[in-house]
Amino acid sequence: MPEEIAHPTPAAELSDPERWVDDHGDYLFKYALSRLRDPLKAEDVVQETFLAALKGGKNFQGRSAEKSWLVGILKNKIFDHYRKTARETAFTDLEFYKEEESDRFVPDGMFKDAWIHEAGPQEWDSPGASLDNEMFWRTYRDCTNKLPKNIATVFTLREVDGIESKEICAILNISENNLWVMLHRARMALRRCLETNWFGNKEGTK
Amino acid sequence: MSFIASFKTRFVFWVWNHTPTCVEMARLTSQTLEKKCSLRMRLKMRLHFVICAWCRRYFKQVNFLHEHAARVEMLPEGMPERVLSFEAKSRMKAEVRKNLATVM
Repeated sequence: MPEEIAHPTPAAELSDPERWVDDHGDYLFKYALSRLRDPLKAEDVVQETFLAALKGGKNFQGRSAEKSWLVGILKNKIFDHYRKTARETAFTDLEFYKEEESDRFVPDGMFKDAWIHEAGPQEWDSPGASLDNEMFWRTYRDCTNKLPKNIATVFTLREVDGIESKEICAILNISENNLWVMLHRARMALRRCLETNWFGNKEGTK
Repeated sequence: MSFIASFKTRFVFWVWNHTPTCVEMARLTSQTLEKKCSLRMRLKMRLHFVICAWCRRYFKQVNFLHEHAARVEMLPEGMPERVLSFEAKSRMKAEVRKNLATVM
């Protein structure tokens, strides 16, 4: 009798792969959602991740190793999703920020296309300290979320995942020149958004 | 004094006429993160920076964001506040169980 009480706890009865769903499901879902912006698709790729992990069939010592292993698989599933989407609809978006802050540059004359001094980039106050501030990253995320979906996708692949532009072009099936234009505008928009909502407005947000 | 002032003005004009505009500088700033520019272009950018604090800041800030963007993943707050529903989890477990039989 005592052995029976000691052993069959429900958690222990879950097979490892089923336990993944409880342990890492939410994290993987949030990750996928931040990339795909669609709860149903995010759920699908998480499901695919678990099944793929099952086939990979590995054992891990620590939970963190298990988690990063699953995230690695998830990333590939998300890329597969991008590839599939790219075959159906073009990823290129050359409309976003077409004006490229033209309102901040001198419109004509000798110094045409120079920054208007009051409107150009301002000095950022100790940006390094912002890196440890959760509110900064929240602002960063809000700014990224304001980017149109395709622009946000290329921006995240390049800046957050650190994938080289050639590889991004292959995944999304876009030309290198168009990627550069999209990245340039995304960086410009994000810089401006952070300057407005964080660096220029610290009293309000901190 | 006036000699120095006029020299300074002429220098600024000369540099402005021999380097990319600020609009182009912004594009080039992003491009240098994707591929190495020619030495000639890099020198032109350097020269432009001498006379333009705004492009200097733009370059510095875009590079700063490029360098540290990966950290956004490391904070749980960097994720949307959504979780999987109980139903979704049950569905996934059932699916896993079904496939577990075929793998083992």
